[in-house]
Amino acid sequence: MVEKEYLKKIGFLKDLPDRILEKIGAISQLETFDEDSLLFRQNQEKALLYMLVSGKVFLNSRSGSGKSLTLDEVTPGRTFGVSALLGGHTSTFTAVCAETSTMITVSGEQMRRLFLENFETGHAVMLKVVELFKSRMEMHTSQFLQSLANHPEIRES
Amino acid sequence: MIKIEDLKRINLLRDVPDHLLEILAKEAQLNIYGTDTQLMTIHEKVDTFFMLIMGQVAVKKDLTPKIDAIFDYIQSGSSFGISAFMEGFTASYTAVCQEPCEAITLSGKRIRELFKENHELAYYMLHGAARQYKKNMDIRARMIMKTLDENPELKKDIHDIGNLTPVI
Repeated sequence: MVEKEYLKKIGFLKDLPDRILEKIGAISQLETFDEDSLLFRQNQEKALLYMLVSGKVFLNSRSGSGKSLTLDEVTPGRTFGVSALLGGHTSTFTAVCAETSTMITVSGEQMRRLFLENFETGHAVMLKVVELFKSRMEMHTSQFLQSLANHPEIRES
Repeated sequence: MIKIEDLKRINLLRDVPDHLLEILAKEAQLNIYGTDTQLMTIHEKVDTFFMLIMGQVAVKKDLTPKIDAIFDYIQSGSSFGISAFMEGFTASYTAVCQEPCEAITLSGKRIRELFKENHELAYYMLHGAARQYKKNMDIRARMIMKTLDENPELKKDIHDIGNLTPVI
């Protein structure tokens, strides 16, 4: 169990009402992982949602030819493994602790069960997920189009 | 009013139970649009959610003042206008019928009212929307990774590589 005061430090959850945070806190754990701990691997089904309280986590992706690329460095207050909330999705990256890290973890399966038992919680959390995914898709599209617009052939036309 | 069998053809509503589909069926309308009909306009408020039954819709944005870029085609069974689920959101692209289209539509205002009244309906529809976004994000992340694998020199031009991961 994790107290709601901890959950309020997490950007993804901080605006949710206390009654919802208490429900999420009741099925969450606070865990500490050593440096280099492997949290999950690319192409594995995601089982847990991770909310970083302290430390740092690297998210790496390995390409078809085996090259590894660091996609992101997760800092305290941020959440990853969000697709565990949807079920049936494999991870597009590997998560490794860059230093000793403390995080709140919650099982995706338990969260999905909570959503079905309490649709108000499901509604509130899923709305946040949709807003996040929508803004990510838009940022990517904009950047992709910006790159295209800067292409010499397009600029000359 | 439309039949729930028609709603069952929509991917986003795949997991929505029948008793909720019946609520949506009472509110939904079936519309037919001609070729070149503009269903959504970039930067304008989105107040309709579209579920495509037949036809094809092009999703486009201005690349330069002279050039439009079509970056996706929406086919039957797919939906768009998810921004209508949220108050005050504007369209991030323009959607135009490429051929005569048949679409089930729901008013954004009515969807938001229904979400307030019925959290179960809100949960299932938003879960479907999140799943649709995630699928598209994964496809895009894999495409970008493949491109970077073949052209590593492009990495310096990607300023938001962290956004390939759904980290909040």
